[in-house]
Amino acid sequence: MKTRIKEFRAKYNLTQEDLAKKVGVRRETIVFLEQGKYNPSLKLAYDIAKTLSSTIDELFIFD
Amino acid sequence: MENDKKRLVIMAILTVTLLAGAVLFGYKMVLEKEITLPNIASLIVPVVLIVFMIFFIGRRYKDVSKGMPLEDERSKNIMNRVAAMSFYTSLYWLLAISMFEPFFAKVLFSSEKLDASQTTGGAIAGMAIFFAIYWIYYNHKGNISN
Repeated sequence: MKTRIKEFRAKYNLTQEDLAKKVGVRRETIVFLEQGKYNPSLKLAYDIAKTLSSTIDELFIFD
Repeated sequence: MENDKKRLVIMAILTVTLLAGAVLFGYKMVLEKEITLPNIASLIVPVVLIVFMIFFIGRRYKDVSKGMPLEDERSKNIMNRVAAMSFYTSLYWLLAISMFEPFFAKVLFSSEKLDASQTTGGAIAGMAIFFAIYWIYYNHKGNISN
């Protein structure tokens, strides 16, 4: 799975730590998400999409 | 957030208790001149655990102070997977202990058989080591669903 979290995070000038705090997860989780190494729960995917004013479809690209 | 800090303080207290126990055990070992391989092995497991806990608590305290949670869905998933895997692997470890009991008894304790405390001690130590190995592995693996 590929993600566009990094791209959207840069757009809103957010650090990994800022995004982690906003969605209530640890920074490592954001790191693994950006690397496409972790499949988030639907709730976390939704929270990230909402925080980055985006949609799950836009952020997560399934191969 | 306050609950996270309280949990870290409880972890720190447990670590200090473990440290005190290890120091007393080491002191007794030296005092009674019983510096044997099994006694040293019994001391290594808590020492490794203490070093790991100091590192773990320090890192987590920094994160909690910055406003991040102590646990999230990924860390909970990791703990569930690690607990299940270490339990599963320890079944094989228990089987190995029962199959090679004469060997372990001879090499570690210079005796014919292992007594109950030696067997349970070996089983618990093995489980703790498997838990630590799996935790490190899954924590660095990233995706734990496959």
